[in-house]
Amino acid sequence: IAGIEVPHKQWPELVGSLLSSIHQQQPHVKQASLETLGYLCEEVPPQALDQDQVNKILTAVVQGMSASEGNVDVRLAATRALYNALGFVQANFSNDMERDYIMRVVCEATLSPELKIRQAAYECLVSVSSMYYEKLASYMPDIFNITAKAVREDEEPVALQAIEFWSSICDEEIDILDDYGGEFTADSEIPCHYFIKQALPALVPMLLETLLKQEEDQDQDEGAWNLAMAGGTCLGLVARTVGDDIVPLVMPFIEENIAKPDWRQREAATYAFGSILEGPSPDKLAPIVNVALNFMLTALMKDPNNHVKDTTAWTLGRIFEFLHGSTVESTVITNENCQQILTVLLQSMKDVPNVAEKACGALYFLAQGYEDVGSASPLSPFFQDIIQALLTVTHREDAGESRLRTAAYETLNEVVRCSTEETAPMVMQLVPVIMMELHKTLEAQKLSSDEREKQSEVQGLLCGCLQVIIQKLGSTETTKHVFLQYADQMMDLFLRVFACRNATVHEEAMLAIGALAYATGANFAKYMQGFYPYLEMGLQNFEEYQVCAITVGVVGDLCRALEDKILPFCDGIMTQLLKDLSSTQMHRSVKPPIFSCFGDIALAIGENFEKYLAYAMPMLQSAAELSAHAAASDVDMIEYTNQLRNGILEAYSGIFQGFKNSPKTQLLMSYAPHILQFLDSLYTVKDMDDVVTKTAIGVLGDLADTLGSNAGTLIQQSVSCKEFLEECLSSDDHLIKESADWARLAVSRALSG
Amino acid sequence: MAPHDLRRPFKRPAISDQQRRREIALRRQNQQRSDSQNRARRLASSVVSLQPEPQPESEPDIELE
Repeated sequence: IAGIEVPHKQWPELVGSLLSSIHQQQPHVKQASLETLGYLCEEVPPQALDQDQVNKILTAVVQGMSASEGNVDVRLAATRALYNALGFVQANFSNDMERDYIMRVVCEATLSPELKIRQAAYECLVSVSSMYYEKLASYMPDIFNITAKAVREDEEPVALQAIEFWSSICDEEIDILDDYGGEFTADSEIPCHYFIKQALPALVPMLLETLLKQEEDQDQDEGAWNLAMAGGTCLGLVARTVGDDIVPLVMPFIEENIAKPDWRQREAATYAFGSILEGPSPDKLAPIVNVALNFMLTALMKDPNNHVKDTTAWTLGRIFEFLHGSTVESTVITNENCQQILTVLLQSMKDVPNVAEKACGALYFLAQGYEDVGSASPLSPFFQDIIQALLTVTHREDAGESRLRTAAYETLNEVVRCSTEETAPMVMQLVPVIMMELHKTLEAQKLSSDEREKQSEVQGLLCGCLQVIIQKLGSTETTKHVFLQYADQMMDLFLRVFACRNATVHEEAMLAIGALAYATGANFAKYMQGFYPYLEMGLQNFEEYQVCAITVGVVGDLCRALEDKILPFCDGIMTQLLKDLSSTQMHRSVKPPIFSCFGDIALAIGENFEKYLAYAMPMLQSAAELSAHAAASDVDMIEYTNQLRNGILEAYSGIFQGFKNSPKTQLLMSYAPHILQFLDSLYTVKDMDDVVTKTAIGVLGDLADTLGSNAGTLIQQSVSCKEFLEECLSSDDHLIKESADWARLAVSRALSG
Repeated sequence: MAPHDLRRPFKRPAISDQQRRREIALRRQNQQRSDSQNRARRLASSVVSLQPEPQPESEPDIELE
């Protein structure tokens, strides 16, 4: 109730009465009051409480946490309440004395005799590490000591939190380094303190020790999370944070353990190796990988332990992901070792499910490395064998375990995506095979709920696979022509798939249909009658907004494929899109693509868009006003605002171009002042990204081109046709320059006419 | 206020293939939208460059594509 009322200032006495209860003697009242304060802080946004209230809550909570509090339950409730209150105490964390006090109490609580209190205290430390990274410098030596002791000696739930503290510090430093591209200047917002780099000589040995604490069969348990997994994950983050510096610290551990009789040592060494492959430079890693590759391939074939084989296949995948491909200079894959690698991976796909899944994953990245290889891929001679092996995996009885079936289809997708012309006939042969698989799933009847779930999963994977194939074969004229002989049957299958009610499957089928519409072009019109009900259903799917977003994109595909043949369906489509925009239920991320979709529709149906103007234009206008003056509070909001602006501008472009050369052009005249004003305000505020700049200056051109001399005076009065246009004409971004060249031509024509 | 789940992705790629399929579809759609726009503009530009003088209204526009 407080979560609803307090933000509206409707229960002002609540915090005061809870605080006075805390000062009572009975421990259970204290405990309940602290828990309630904790819940309150969890529910309400920080601005809902004023600083005076925050100070009082903090004082009560910290007192409840301190060692002088004799009651364990009270201390635990206070520690958990602090976890939730941390977002409120910005001001207190800026004060050195207050911060020192809070940190001392938290660190003391990590040493409590009670496991739950220690665990909750570490949760506070983890949260502090991400919220107040920049304030941590003076506490790091002490924190290192207590976390190292916890990782080595404490019980697992506490040790896991202690590792999480270091993973969280890595997350922060990776973000900071990403933001500033490694260059720090005095005016950088948050400086990197290089805590990880400083702790490295002690941190890495501590993490390496954890790798030896694996659980038996952890690879078969989807929900497993233990010290070895957390330690290896943290080691991977450390490698990403410090790069090359980690390599000499980990190599001795790998060399010492990789060939030991105890599987735990071999697995830990392999996991350590796999974990540090992202971060250090390929130059640093390539010589080591060149030596290790043969050893890894042999281990994958011959190691007696499944856990070791699993980690070995995963490590091979990481080698291919980070040290192979056209962008990697010191690639470790040559034409010579490629065949040997493939032989081992295909053999390994017959292994137990978790190992076979990792082998599929490794093949995924091996194929990806040949994405830009040109016409002749080293995989081509083995293409048939690869496809066959992957299809065989999908038919395994145990393919439902360890995500094996999914991994096999996903790898098949990547192999197809990265295939070249020379293997196009084999991709073509795959079309009826995958269609037959999909057909089989549709024939199955009287299924139990488990079987139905499995069936949906397989249908989603098959539709995904067909989508990739359609896109591949549809991308060249020769293959497209042959492929389209399957279009009728394929469309029939997709429509039958829609009858199964499952969001993921709908999304996959919708994406595949979008690709098919693009490949088919105007001939897609014959499928529209049958497909339209499902299209409308997709546009109405508020709950699974991804399905709605994908469907909006498919409407765009249909507009480009059908052009004016989409007209009979536009009333229904526009009604639904307008409803989506007006709905408060609809996820905000779907709104920008809906605006872009208005542009697609207008471009396709031209002046027939007239009847929608009275509805679409006011919506565009109010969204434009909102987005022009949106307060950019955070990165996400800035990104969203730019997406919204881009969608609105794409709508305007499509509408102007659609009406071009129509006798009804004058209908747009009354909207021109507002649109020019929107462009001017975007230019004045100067916080749009390059994509918006390009689209905005293009709209100026489209407006001038369509309205011509009738809008001459209006255009001349705008800032956009002068400073904004000049700035874009001298832009280094060729797309902005291209749009600006167009705008200049159209504007000069409008002004001279 | 239960302890929060701290599990991180383990031996899994950063982006799923499903996510890749979505992103590739989105990229294709954006590219094709931009191609359609450019086609319309190119057509208009060609007409402009071929017709430096405004044509009498009775004369039909030249279709170039």
